Amino acid sequence: MFSLLYRMVRDRALAEDLAQETFIKVLNGIKSYRPEFKFSSWIFKIANNAAIDHLRRKSIDTLSLDGAPNAETPDQMRATSLQLGDRAESPLDEVESRELGTAIERAIARLRPEYRSCILLRHVEGYSYEEIAETLDLPLGTVKTYIHRARNELRGYLDDRRE
Amino acid sequence: MTDISMHLNSDEIELWAQGLLPAARAMHLADCSLCRVEADRERKVILELVQLPKFAPSAGFANRVMAQVKIPTASGGWEQH
Repeated sequence: MFSLLYRMVRDRALAEDLAQETFIKVLNGIKSYRPEFKFSSWIFKIANNAAIDHLRRKSIDTLSLDGAPNAETPDQMRATSLQLGDRAESPLDEVESRELGTAIERAIARLRPEYRSCILLRHVEGYSYEEIAETLDLPLGTVKTYIHRARNELRGYLDDRRE
Repeated sequence: MTDISMHLNSDEIELWAQGLLPAARAMHLADCSLCRVEADRERKVILELVQLPKFAPSAGFANRVMAQVKIPTASGGWEQH
């Protein structure tokens, strides 16, 4: 479950916070668990919802290397551009870039969050299509579509790398 | 000549990549270069995905979680661990 969260948000500390939030919800809300539902699926559902909620809340402010979209002069562009060297890399950043820096991890990060959840549950966690549909509350056909599109996109990203 | 209707669909390609496609259908790959290329690319991606490492949270994570969990007591109250 932690691996899913970490790959969804790509931030170890945040993934731990979300995992903690998930476990607390699971343990404190155990009475609401329905036994006809696979227990691990229930946990993944709560974890995935936490990650998706976070990503929506964050609604990633897109930082442009070239500066703000409304910057018109070179000075304005320089003043609003993202300075890659601004932030010193912490030991945790180094761990993250080592763990999530491979081509396949970077390709996964480029997928839409919904595709990312599906492809990780399918091929990393080994869930069946039916289990993913149940876990994510999605129609089976949607799960299949998301997984096929995700694999196509991953192939595209990985082919670009090889060229 | 390969019958177009006999091309492997994406479900079958996934099954083949996992070694689960029935031999009768897998034989199609011997004759169809289109499906073979497609299946090989798919297999590479799936292999990369299934080989991804599992990550674990840092030490002390379980204790931090349990510290915030409330366990019901026999007297009807809550016990914080």
